[in-house]
Amino acid sequence: MRPSVEEQLAGTCRVLEGVVLPAVADPYARTLLAGLIGNLRMLGGALPAINGFLRNDNQATAALLEQMRASVAPELSERIGAALDAPAPDAADRAALDAHNGVLRELLAHALLGDALPVEARQAALAHLTQRAARSPMRYVSTTTPAPKTAN
Amino acid sequence: MSGTLKMSATPGARSAESPPHEVATGVRQVVAGLTALILDAIPTARDMVFTGLERAAGGLSRENWSVDATWNDATGAQAHRLMLMRDASGTLLATNRAREFAVLKALEGTNVPAPRAHWVDIDGRRLGAPSLVMDRMPGACDYLVLNGEQPLAARLALAQAFLALMAKIHAVDWRARGLGPILGEPQASPSQAELANWEAEYRRVQLEAHPELDLALAWMRRHAPKAEAVVLVHGDFKPGNALIAGGQITAKLDWETAHLGDPLEDLGWVTNPVRRREHQIEGVWERDDIVAAYRQRTGLKVDEAALTWWNVFSIWKLAVIQLTAVAEFVAGRYDRVFQTPAWLYRPMFQLMEKAA
Repeated sequence: MRPSVEEQLAGTCRVLEGVVLPAVADPYARTLLAGLIGNLRMLGGALPAINGFLRNDNQATAALLEQMRASVAPELSERIGAALDAPAPDAADRAALDAHNGVLRELLAHALLGDALPVEARQAALAHLTQRAARSPMRYVSTTTPAPKTAN
Repeated sequence: MSGTLKMSATPGARSAESPPHEVATGVRQVVAGLTALILDAIPTARDMVFTGLERAAGGLSRENWSVDATWNDATGAQAHRLMLMRDASGTLLATNRAREFAVLKALEGTNVPAPRAHWVDIDGRRLGAPSLVMDRMPGACDYLVLNGEQPLAARLALAQAFLALMAKIHAVDWRARGLGPILGEPQASPSQAELANWEAEYRRVQLEAHPELDLALAWMRRHAPKAEAVVLVHGDFKPGNALIAGGQITAKLDWETAHLGDPLEDLGWVTNPVRRREHQIEGVWERDDIVAAYRQRTGLKVDEAALTWWNVFSIWKLAVIQLTAVAEFVAGRYDRVFQTPAWLYRPMFQLMEKAA
């Protein structure tokens, strides 16, 4: 499908930046618009990576939960078991991958708040979450350089 | 809006420029609200004229409006250079204007440079949202001033002045100034109290699970330090919240997060690694230099493990503030797009590992 989503996003940014932004006089609106353009550019780069990121993270989080299962409260252990037994979402279905990721990460959050986790499990979680943060495709774009608050 | 806008509160007066519709609506609301607020405080005020009304581009949590106001009242002709801070419809920090007003009033007469507060609209009855009006102080704000274009000696002098200012804030006699009942003395240890406050904010704004933040939360609960002292904490101490003129700090701004707490909270904020560009100067004003200078100025011991805890807390709190922005944007109340704060997790985890 042409123009692809990425091409449309890139073209939109080009027009906003080259045509619209120079015509905006209000400094507050200019700052906002610059931020929005930066975010659209980021999305154009992130979009192709999202499904792969979610698939990979679902596998890694599931493995971690399996490792923790014996150390958590019985009720949580049951919920982890149910989530791990559920059929894997369609690899091309971003919404389903995202929903499954949300379920797994909520279970992980509950497990990490517990007191009974062994040190090794916490360290494994820390390593996994550090890697995840490094691979996260959607990143904050800082374009909102504050203007002087007041000047005389 | 750019340029100078002249607008009179007198019925029938016209603006010198025609701003865009949305901005004009905001301008009209500010002028009407400010007029009412002044009349509430000074019923004899008449012939009010506002000039140069302008909304600054900065201000992530609040709208900042500068305006010059003149009027006549029972005591004669008045002229004030004012700054109006109004809660934005979407905000990163849900704070209380009455508390901020009380803090600014308590700081009058101390050696802490802060704007004189005039009037407060606590519930937004006059201005449409909670607002605070204060003197507009001389100077300009530059959040990266310590790593800007000035010579190193000037930047280092400013860095030391910022630290001296922090020490002055921490030395404010908050009991004598009546701030105890207003701000509330922490019942538990300040670290536990702040963690509980910000955990509540985290739970309020989170749209999905964040095991990274829960992992850090569990760690902070296990290692919460005791405070060496309870002081007035600014709560968002940074060059971006100060005005500078002629190489001097003329005013510390943005007191909406001020509270009573552990002095290491502010110190942990300025020494946390993710804010290095704002607070530190490579090679000459780094964490060890800042801590040594703080110890020397205050006489406090500054426990290293406790400071590291506050560094972790600072990053975690920053992540929660970012999640607030995410939630507000999704709800359609905030106009800037933020992402999940993944960039903060690695430095936060590194500090936790180092502490272990």
